[in-house]
Formats: sequence, structure tokens, C-alpha cells
Amino acid sequence: MSAVLEPNAGAPAVARSPGVWDAAWLRLKDDPVGMGALAVVLAFLTLILASVLGFAAADWEREKGVPYAYPFFAGDRENVEAQAMQGIAIGKDRRPIDISDVDPLAPKYREWAERAAKLSLIDPPRLATLPAGGDRWGRDVLAKAIKGTQISVLVGVFAALVATLIGTLLGAFSGYFGRRLGDLLEWVYNVFTAVPTILLIFAFAAVFGRGIGTVILILGLTGWTGTYRLVRAEYIKHASREYVRAAHAIGASHASRIFVHILPNVSHVVLVQLSLLVVAFIKAEVILSFLGLGVPIEMVSWGTMLGEAQNELITGKWWQLAAATAFMAMFVTAFSLLTDALRDALDPRLR
Amino acid sequence: MASYLVRRIWQMLPTLGGVILLVFFLFKFFGGDPAEVLAGQVADKQQIEAIRSQLGLDQPWWVQLGVFLKQVFSFDFGQSWMTREPVSSIFVSRLPATLTVMVPIIVLEVFLAIPIAMYVAYVRGSLADRAIVAACVVAMSISFLVYIIFGQYVFGFLLGWFPVQGWSDHFLTNLFRYAPLPVMLAVFVSLAPQTRLYRTFFLDEINHDYVRTARAKGLAEPVVMMKHVLRNAMIPILTNVAVQLPSIFVGSFLIEVFFSIPGLGREVFLAVNRSDYPVIQAVTVYLAVLTMLINLGADLLYKLVDPRVELR
Amino acid sequence: MLVRVRDLSVSFRLGREQTAAAVRGVSFDIPRDRAVALVGESGSGKSVSALSIVRLLPGNAIVAPQSSIEYDGRNLLREPVERLRALRGRDFSMVFQEPMSSLNPVFTIGDQIAEVLQRHLRLTRRQALARAAELLDEVGIPEPRARLGAYPHELSGGQQQRVMIAIAIACQPKLLIADEPTTALDVTVQRQILDLLTRLRQSYAMSLLFISHDLALVGEIADEVVVMREGEVRESGPVDRIFTVPQDAYTKALLACRPRLDARPRRLPVIEDFMRGGPTASAPREARPAGGPPLIEAAGLRKAYRLKTGLFARKTIDAVRDVSFRLARGCTLGVVGESGSGKTTLAMLLMRLVDAGGGSVRFGGKDLLALSEREMMAFRRRIQLIFQNPYASLNPRFTVGRILTEPMKIHGIGKDEDERFERAIALLGRVGMPAESIYKYPHEFSGGQRQRIAIARCLTLQPDILICDEAVSALDVSVQATVLNLLLDLQEEFHLTYIFISHDLAVVKYMADEILVMNQGEVVEAGDAEAIYAAPAHPYTKNLLSAIPRGYAARAQAR
Repeated sequence: MSAVLEPNAGAPAVARSPGVWDAAWLRLKDDPVGMGALAVVLAFLTLILASVLGFAAADWEREKGVPYAYPFFAGDRENVEAQAMQGIAIGKDRRPIDISDVDPLAPKYREWAERAAKLSLIDPPRLATLPAGGDRWGRDVLAKAIKGTQISVLVGVFAALVATLIGTLLGAFSGYFGRRLGDLLEWVYNVFTAVPTILLIFAFAAVFGRGIGTVILILGLTGWTGTYRLVRAEYIKHASREYVRAAHAIGASHASRIFVHILPNVSHVVLVQLSLLVVAFIKAEVILSFLGLGVPIEMVSWGTMLGEAQNELITGKWWQLAAATAFMAMFVTAFSLLTDALRDALDPRLR
Repeated sequence: MASYLVRRIWQMLPTLGGVILLVFFLFKFFGGDPAEVLAGQVADKQQIEAIRSQLGLDQPWWVQLGVFLKQVFSFDFGQSWMTREPVSSIFVSRLPATLTVMVPIIVLEVFLAIPIAMYVAYVRGSLADRAIVAACVVAMSISFLVYIIFGQYVFGFLLGWFPVQGWSDHFLTNLFRYAPLPVMLAVFVSLAPQTRLYRTFFLDEINHDYVRTARAKGLAEPVVMMKHVLRNAMIPILTNVAVQLPSIFVGSFLIEVFFSIPGLGREVFLAVNRSDYPVIQAVTVYLAVLTMLINLGADLLYKLVDPRVELR
Repeated sequence: MLVRVRDLSVSFRLGREQTAAAVRGVSFDIPRDRAVALVGESGSGKSVSALSIVRLLPGNAIVAPQSSIEYDGRNLLREPVERLRALRGRDFSMVFQEPMSSLNPVFTIGDQIAEVLQRHLRLTRRQALARAAELLDEVGIPEPRARLGAYPHELSGGQQQRVMIAIAIACQPKLLIADEPTTALDVTVQRQILDLLTRLRQSYAMSLLFISHDLALVGEIADEVVVMREGEVRESGPVDRIFTVPQDAYTKALLACRPRLDARPRRLPVIEDFMRGGPTASAPREARPAGGPPLIEAAGLRKAYRLKTGLFARKTIDAVRDVSFRLARGCTLGVVGESGSGKTTLAMLLMRLVDAGGGSVRFGGKDLLALSEREMMAFRRRIQLIFQNPYASLNPRFTVGRILTEPMKIHGIGKDEDERFERAIALLGRVGMPAESIYKYPHEFSGGQRQRIAIARCLTLQPDILICDEAVSALDVSVQATVLNLLLDLQEEFHLTYIFISHDLAVVKYMADEILVMNQGEVVEAGDAEAIYAAPAHPYTKNLLSAIPRGYAARAQAR
């Protein structure tokens, strides 16, 4: 070893080269669609954070408006249902009618109303219109949509994390070790994929019941198979690559080879898979909640909103459907576009 | 070939065993107490105990597993807890409705897949391509539920072209009157994801060397795409179709629920809602068998499509 | 003159604003009925120049407007694409480097040959298939009629390339462009394909544009040679002049830096020597003292792989069968063989990267194959391996610093991270890499540079034995010379013992004192290197040695 070094020259002062993630970020910055999608997703995440902390939509359960309140831009439409629910009799030409001659209690109404007016009310008066309309009980649809965003997105994200974790670990061990362990894990995979996913979800749902935690668990336990397949294929490919053999040659342990050497080379695949799962699980949660198998009754998600919307549509109340669909479409579109941009940034191919 | 079939069927057994074990233990250890479910809301301890021993639930678990195994192989899962109908007859009676809706869906999807794939290849790289991709992304971000709700409202309720819901006892009526709306909606919703998927398959194929050779031979670009690339891209496309096949039996459940079609999917959904375990268990095990057989068929089909495949 | 290329300039669009120039102002001629060779290393622009003739460049290629390629009185670069398509396959045809991926896997070879006949000659399918069978016969495929229905994956590499050639000559083109057609093939198969190309060229009276990095190969087949480097033509002319009296420094360098079969200089001349005009020859190497106690001794090494072929049947493939050798300290053992000979498996066995089926390896007083994994750790320091593929042997996600310090950390060399870093920098200097490399990632380096980093990685452990498994095979000729020189320097300085594995006979002859010749897992001949090359005993060795391209000199002699 003949190089002569100054005593304190441990390393030359040079700019460090960008690693994979830095290089990807640089590429992403150049992609206008990707950056736009990122901005939208971040906006939603901020909204969700605000919702979690209680700064937004904390009072979604309060019945602020009249039942089926119209959205703000359709203000002075006649709200027949609201009137019906407030106990005002409605005649054929949609005007309150006087039924005092057939109703024995009719003379008393005035008296009772006067007496009631003298008492102070606890509830503030119900609003006739709400920003995005009201549902059957007069709850603010906008607040519900925001809260629903929080629930649906968080369920999707956590379920995706669980599924990705399981799939990656099992896939890594199966692909790296192969042989008996690989065969065993392949058997588990075959068992889980022999049953159509929806049916598997149903079976789990029948057994575990409703609840946010159980939905996350169910989706995570049934959705890991795609990630497993991918990660296993990657590990099989990489385990025979020369840099891994080189690691073996210098004496690196199995754990080191699996997690320190190969995993960083596979992580971009895993990240894209995670993003795809988030979208898939959000959509699955919506369907499950719609059917009553997802989040519990006292919670709201996009799915429960759609569930209510189905009946409302027949009577011409479209705003809950619109709000839920709009929020969901915006978020999922932005997230999907971001996933595509991320995939391109991590693995660029000249188009 | 025969040895290949034997080998594959032999390999299916451990998987089937695994599914049976999974179903059994899932319901045994995580499910509610069947006796309480059956006994209903009002029941005293004695009744529950009686039902318990009637169902054999007081036996040790390995005995119960044995009973379950026997049920699987003799096609007798007992009766539905709710309707007392034998589970096997539920299965058989609901199947036709499911098939009446799902088979047209699959057939239409496959037949639409080819022109879609060809169009996608044709406009590759152009502005139309980008517009299609964008449209697909947005279309896929809207829940299937919204399409059904909207479709029912517009085509059934507002325009009155199709009945909003319903089913009859006659096959032809079902096929031409009640099935069209759900079939159309399902096929429409599947267009966007299929298009995106096939586009990816094509883009992957186009980068291969044999495309360069085809161009070096002086073939026109459409010939290169439609003959050389398409033929290779059909392999992953058919894989995709084959993979989707097993899910037609239950995947239709949303449609069946919305349109009140008395099919297998809806049956399973109702069973989940009322914790009717025998139905769910039976359907799960039988569908697993069906999936494995369909996969075997798909692998055999492969050999026709991809000459590199060696059946070993 | 068939084709005149004038002032061709091609660059590639890499990103939003970046472009990279691949070909800068290249001019050369292709006469009728002549073989012209484009010779150069990677990045010389030879493939791009050839592909420009038929305009098969990738989508992001930009051809400069002043470029012209004249054929039949017209500038091909300005012709509409349809006209070019009419010419492709008929007047101009191509053979590519990788036959397996260049053939469409889902069509039969008969159909693929017939396709070009139907397109250009308007034959019916039946006529086309009949002609295809004749063509298969012409290119030397046995049982051509039966083979019409075969799929590409059912053929060997050499046969696939013959099929590609059949497609290329089907319409009797005026020019056949062959882009590194034999690079992916074994030496013996290479010889056959070359002979076939020469024979066909003469019988069809067509021109051949042959692209290669191998000068020796080119010397045997070409009439005119064009030497390219970094997108420019360095020299061009008739083959005898280029080989006997080269004018350009780079041409001289290329001719000289290949190891020769008849001399063993201490140091191979490298490009820089010629470019700077410095001394190029060096003294012959001193013979190493033979004998001495063996440092490592292998006996009866065996490895078999079992494959499932049927329901219960298993096929056994013997990768290595009963290999034995002894190697003294400071010497080099060369292991030579074609693909499938088992030489790489042998390296894996010695390193215990793969479990052996039998045999022993005595080293440092112990049998390496009998040690447990933990005991083996101590020995891992002493015997290291340089892999063939410099693009795959360094972890793409690790910085060079991490790659070099990791082995030290595992074996406890250096008392802390700073000291390990210093050692790594020192080693980088020793292998000729700048210290700044320590923070960079492998993808920022060329193949030769990566191989140096790989060598540095091995040296961090201060091993006794270094196994070079095709360590220079993936490198350009000029880079090969520098790496071989480096290996020899290191061997002298650190008294290393080498096991040098390669299919390249000239390189092995240059490096090795003793040789093992392997064929299908067995050692067919072993002994002193000089003796074997001078007088091979075994028929396989003879065949191997005679297949080596000798270059122009041999051809001139043969006339």
C-alpha cells in the first residue's frame, strides 16, 4: 500500500453522487403531471391530518341542517321532505293545509306552539341549505365527505402497509432460500390464491365482523399475494446475481444479503406495488362499507355515503352521491397519476 | 401429456387440503359459536347445549375436522342455518342465474379485448394514446358502485330502457330482458382497466429484438404490430383472461345484489350477513377446486399459444 | 461503388435537453462484391453507422442534415420510409448479434424465412416454404424440410444464427450487414459461421458489411477495413495495408494490445502508449520457477445438477467431473474451455459458493470442503473471486466506499470506519482509480473501471489466492490490456497466486504458467502452458486451438 495521505484527509471534499431516490426525485421534478398529482395528494393528506386532529369535519355527526338540505347554490327550492319531517302536513299542491276541522287536537296546536316558543331552545335553528347539501338527517355532506376521506384513505393506506409487509417478507424468504422453505411458502400462496379474493374477503368478514381494525386486517391478510409473487420473482433473480455471490464470497450473512444487499435493489418495485394496493384497497373498502361489512355504523366513509346515496337518487337528491364521487375521484386519480409518475421516475425508459 | 396431468392433479391435493384447513380453522376459532347463532336471539342454555351436541360441536376438534372432510367429499354440507335448504341444492339452483349474467360478460370482454389491444397498439405514442390513458385513469378512480347506481338511475329509472331490477324463471327472458343492463355496465367498467393493462403488454413487447428484425425485413409498420407484436402480446392477454375466469362465480355478487338477481354471489353475500356458515364454507371449498381446475385448463391452453412452454 | 457514406453524424436525445453524439462525420465506401469491416470498441459508433444505412435507429436518434448515404444514385437518408422498407430485406439485409432474441419466438423458422420471400418476391406460401427449405440447406442446417416447423428455442445458438443468415440471403441482397454476428457464440461455432458467411458472399456476389470489435476475426474475413473510435474514423484502407503498415496510432494500438500466441511480454502495450508515442514493446517475461510446494491442491472435485424431466424421471447433468490440480504460490493456473465446460462451476466450488458433490480442496492445512460455514469464514479472507460481469458484480445501490469497506468490516480489518475508509482510498489508488470514486455509484463508471473496483474489493482482504472468472471477457480489447497489466503488477507486488479462467485462449496463454483444458466437466489435458499450445495432445485441444482467429497474417500465409 503505497499511497501517501495527509493525516487528516479521511475523505476528499467532493459532492456526493445522488443515490437512487435522489435521482428519482430529480426526475420527478421534471414531470409536470407527476408534480401536479403530488400537490393534489399532499393537499388531501393535509386535509386528512386536519380531520384526524379535529380541525375539520369534527362535527360531522351533528344534524346541522334540515333533512335533505339543498346545496348552497340551490337555495330556495322547496324542500318537501324537510317539511314532512318537521310535521307540517302537506297537501296536493304542496302547500300546508289547515286540518283543524277534522283533527280534534287542532285547537290545541296553537296553544302548544305558543308555550313551546316561550321555552328556550337548546338546538340552534336548522339551516335551510348547507355548502354541499345535507343527508337524510341533515348532516353536512361536506363534513361527511371530509371525514369519509380520512377513514377511507387511512384504511386503504394501513391495509396496503400490512399486505405489503407480509408479501415482501414472505416473498423475500421464498425467493432467496428456495427449496423447502420456498415450497412451503408456495403452498401457502397457492392456498390463498385458490379461492377468489372476494370470496376470501367475505369468509373473513363473516368471521371477524365489522370494524375499522378488522377491515384493515381482512384486506391485509387477503391482499398480500400479488406483492409476494413479485418480490419472490425479484429475489430469485437477484439471489443468483453476481453482486450477491460477491457478498457471499466476502462473508456476508444471509440476513445481510437479504435485507442489506438485495432489498434496496427491490424497494422501488415494492413501493410501486404499495401504491397500487392503496388504490385497490380504498376501492375495496368503499364496496365493503357500502354492503355493511366494512366500517362500523357510527363511522362514515365514502362507502357508507354511497350506500345512502343509492336511495336518495330516486327522489332526486343527488348531492351526497356527487360529493362522495368527487372526493374519491379526485384523490384516486391524483394518486394513480402519482404512482405512474413515480414508476417512471424510478425506472426510466426512453419513450 | 398424461403424466403432466397426473402430476398436476397430484399437486393440487396439498393445496385443496390447505384450503380445507384454512376454512375449517378460520370458522372454528374465529367465528362465533354456531350453536348460539342457530339458536337465535332468545334461547336458554339448554337449547344451546342441545343444538351443540346435535351439530357435534362438543367433539374434539380433530373429530370435527374429520366430519368436515367427509362433508367435502360427499358433497353434503348439511343445511343452511337460515333457510334449512340443503347447501348443495342452494349451489345448484343459484348457479344458472350467475352464469346467465357472467358468461355474456366474459365473452364480451374477451371479444372487445382484441380490438382494444389493436387500437392501443395502433395509436401508440400519439396524442390519442395519452388522452386514452388519462381517460382510463379517471374512469378507474370512480367506484364501480357509482356506475351501477348511475346506470340504474339513468337507463332504468329515467329512460326506462331496461328494468331496474328483477329476474324471472325463463332463461330467454332473463337473457334478453333482465341481463342486458347489468352486463353492459360490467363490461363498460372493465374497459378502462383492460385497456391500460393491454397497453402495458404491448409496450413491453415492442422493445424486444424480434421487432427490429421484422422491420429489417422491410415489413410495413402495421404488419409488424398486428402480426408480430400482437401474436406475442396475446400470451399475457390470455393469461389475464384465464386468471379472471375463476372469479366470475363470485365476482358478480355486486351486480346480483344491486339487480336482485338470485345468483351464487348474492347468496354468499346474504350468507355473510346472517352468519350462515355452512353456505360460506361450502362455496369457498368448491370454488377453490373450480379455480384449480380452471388454472389447469388455462395452462393446457398455454401450450397452444406459446410454443416455448414445455409441459413438464 | 455500392454504397457511399459521407459525413454521417448521428446523435441521441437523452432527456429534455441533453443529446449525446454517437457518430461524428464518418465517411466510408462499400464497394460491390467486397467485404468491408467496421472495427472499433464499444462506443465507437460502428453499429450506429451501419444501422443508419437501413435507418433502423431507435426513435430518439437525430441524423444531421449534411449526412448522406448514397445508393443507386439517391441519398437514402432523404428517401421516404416506404422506399426504405422496399429496400430492407431485399437490397439490404441484416444479421444481428443475439439470434435467440432476434427471432420471433412464436413463429416457426420456416414461416419467418418465408415471410421475407412473400413480402419481396411475391411468392405464394407453398413456394416460399419450398425455397426456405433450400435456404436452410444452404446455410448448413441438417434435415431442412423437417426443420421448417421448428421453433427458434428448439435450436442451438449457432443454428439460430444460421437461420438469421438464411433470412438475410433469401432475396439475394446486394449488401448483407452483419452486426457482431459471432460475438455471442462459442469459438468453434464462430469459425463455422465465419466460413459460411465468406462462402455465401462469394457465391451470391454480394457485399458484406461486417461489424466487430475483434481485429483478429476481421483480418480473416475482410477485404477493406474501417477503424473507428469514439464516433470517428481513425483509418481505413485495404486489409493488407491496415494490418502490415498501419498509419494511425490507435490502429497500431489495437493491433498490438491483444495478447499474442507466440510471445509473452512482461506488459501488454495499451492505447495510451501508442497515443503518446511512448515505448510499446517490453521485455519478455521471466519464466516463473516451476515446482515448489503446492499452496492449494484440489482432488476429485465433482458437482452434479439434477433436473426434473418427467413425472418421476430425473436427469443428471455433471457440471464438474473429477477435476484435480495443484498450484504453487505465486504461479498462475489457467483454466480454458467453452461454455458448458464447467470452468465457472469449478470457481464456485473452490469458493464454496456452491456445495460440491465430492472431492477435496487442501489449502492452509485444511480441507475447505469439509469446513463448516463458520470455520470457512476465516478462509474467505484468503481466497477471493473476481467475477465476469462488471455490471453485475457491484451492488448498484452501494457507493464504492461502502462496497470496499464492507468486507473489512465483516472480517474486522481496521479499527474503525475512518481507518477502513483510508485503506479503501489507498487501494483505489493502487488499482488506478481516483479517490473521488469513493462517493460514487457503480453506474457512473465504465466496465473497465468497475472491474478495477472489483479487484480493489478483493484486495481489501489481503488474500493469498485470487480466482479470475472470465474477469476480462466482457471488456474492450484496450481495456483488457490495462486490466491484465494491473493483475500482473499486483501479482508481483503482493505475491498473489492466480487461477485464471477464460474461454479466450490468447488471454489465458498470456497469463498462465500451467493450464487445465476442460470440456463438458472433465479435464482433457493439463500441463505447462507453452508446451500445450505448441503441441496439443488431445483432439479437443487441437480443435480449440485451430479455431482461434489468427488475423490477417495467417490468411496471408494461407494464400
